[in-house]
Amino acid sequence: MTFPATRHSVVRDLGSVDPGTRAAAYDGLVRSYWRPVYLYIRMRWRRSVEDAQDLTQEFFARAFEREYLEHYDPAKARFRTFVRTCLDGFLANHDKAAARLKRGGGFVVTPVDFARADADLAARAPGDQSDPELWFHREWIRGLFGDAIEALRIRADAGGHASAFALFRRYDVDEAGDTPRLTYAALAQESGVSVATVTNELAWARRTFREIVLERLRTICASDEEFRAEARDLLGVDAP
Amino acid sequence: MSKPMLGLVLGGVLGVLDGLSALVSAPDDPAVKAGIVGIVIGSTVKGLITGVLIGWFARRTQSLGIAIVFGLAVGLALAYLVCVMQKMAGQPPYYWQIMLPGGILGVIVGYATFNFRRGALASA
Amino acid sequence: MNLPDAAIARLRGLGDRPDFGGTRYDLLDEIGRGGMGIVFRARDRDLGRDVAVKVTMWQTESDAARLRREARTLASLEHPGIVPVHEAGRLPDGRVFLVMGLARGERLDRHATRLPLADRLRVFDRICDTVAFAHARGVIHRDLKPANIMVGAFGQVLILDWGLAAPHAGSEMTAGGTEGYMAPEQSTQQPNARADVHALGAILRDLIDVAEGAAPAFRPLRSIVARATSTDPGARYADAAELAADVRRFTDGRAVAAHRETTFERAGRLARVYRTPIALVLTYLAVRALLLFWF
Repeated sequence: MTFPATRHSVVRDLGSVDPGTRAAAYDGLVRSYWRPVYLYIRMRWRRSVEDAQDLTQEFFARAFEREYLEHYDPAKARFRTFVRTCLDGFLANHDKAAARLKRGGGFVVTPVDFARADADLAARAPGDQSDPELWFHREWIRGLFGDAIEALRIRADAGGHASAFALFRRYDVDEAGDTPRLTYAALAQESGVSVATVTNELAWARRTFREIVLERLRTICASDEEFRAEARDLLGVDAP
Repeated sequence: MSKPMLGLVLGGVLGVLDGLSALVSAPDDPAVKAGIVGIVIGSTVKGLITGVLIGWFARRTQSLGIAIVFGLAVGLALAYLVCVMQKMAGQPPYYWQIMLPGGILGVIVGYATFNFRRGALASA
Repeated sequence: MNLPDAAIARLRGLGDRPDFGGTRYDLLDEIGRGGMGIVFRARDRDLGRDVAVKVTMWQTESDAARLRREARTLASLEHPGIVPVHEAGRLPDGRVFLVMGLARGERLDRHATRLPLADRLRVFDRICDTVAFAHARGVIHRDLKPANIMVGAFGQVLILDWGLAAPHAGSEMTAGGTEGYMAPEQSTQQPNARADVHALGAILRDLIDVAEGAAPAFRPLRSIVARATSTDPGARYADAAELAADVRRFTDGRAVAAHRETTFERAGRLARVYRTPIALVLTYLAVRALLLFWF
């Protein structure tokens, strides 16, 4: 297994002196964290849709202005734990009277789909919400995997592996919770291909999915140690 | 050594000791003192017979409880015979003094012969 | 996209879930994982039985070599207490796999809590017997611990995870073992049977209750533990057979080699061993005394 060659880290770039790099880093950060942050505010802090949307944007804007995410110390906690802690602090101290945010200059508004997030939330049964760290982590994973699957689809279409993606989607995503499990033989018959083809296509899709997840993970971890720990936790993969 | 042989030896030794104990239990009885040799011989023969019978039976049973009960029964029975013989000889039969210890010695021989060559006595 | 929790769980497992799609095995669930590999329960469709499948984490050659070595070790040790190996091979994704018998039972540390000491020592005797078999064939386990020992419903023992097993001589030193059971010299010296003796001693220590361990009657057992877990390998028993023999002496009520008895201790031991005949003789004497005073 080769790990992504790009070693740029959103977390490291947050502290860049170059405004463009810094803005791009925040953009990357928002893409990775907006969903768990938004859902966390909705579910854990019980805010309305409108309030949660505003608070989500305000949180990232404040983080950008006041640079508090740049003071992250890898020795103390993982970055996602730090983000959640900052979020809790932000929400606890948030002044409702200053309701509408005043955004400073330089902060790029990243397009996010709040409506989609709410629809996804409504479609799911509520899970265990007793441990905020676990809950935030789970939503963070959901967002990361969702983005990775979309990226896999794009890569599969571009590389002539559309059938591989379809099989992967069918077997490892849509049928994930079913018992008894769909067999390779049944899947092969359904798809009109051989079992060997199913085996090879699934292997390609899974391998590529893992690579994409690790690439994304790499960019939002502050250090190699954190990346290895997150990779092992997320996928059971031991990074070299 | 076989179980009957162990029974024979143990029964004989315990018989001698049991016979001699008459001197302790009836120290002031002149008849006991005068007849101590006969008492010891009789007790020894009783012990030998008891021992060989119990030893023979211990070979045939897999149950310690049954071996002990058999030993008790044989010990009591032969001790009773001695009392009957005493009565027939015109002597007062010492039922308690003869049968009770006789029964216990039968239990001891039954226990010992059952456990002989069965492994640790610690597994009692 | 709306990813349900079941999909999340499955996708997380893709990092290590092996692809057995083209084989006769249907993976059922994960039953354990260690530093080197993951163990799954699988169904052998051809033979209609459940098996355990161990797969390396990823396709590194060092992991593959270790799993192959474990397969050969297991194949050379045919004993009721050692899990049998059925098949070994390589998956399409390059990872090495090993198919073994599925160990049914309960982990030793959980099973032992319900047993009286005598039964725990009997189980320990079977464990030593199994390890002694391996030692006699020149194989050392090197990672003996309660988590690697299963006890069946009838008290039968199965020792698992021979992944760190090595021959007595000629093997390279590999880091491994578990703290609390691993011999101190294990990572720095060529392994030998005394390293396993140390682990067995630690297991025996765990099997003895604190309350039991404090009782004077169990001093010999504590001495056995102390000797087996000595930091000086030369002071320990030479192998599992020697350790088992000493434990058997203890259970049989005989003097143990690891413990020098005082006269008082010897008298106490003999009194315990022969307590029934002593009680019978005392009863006889008591009856005699009673008859003396009453009649």
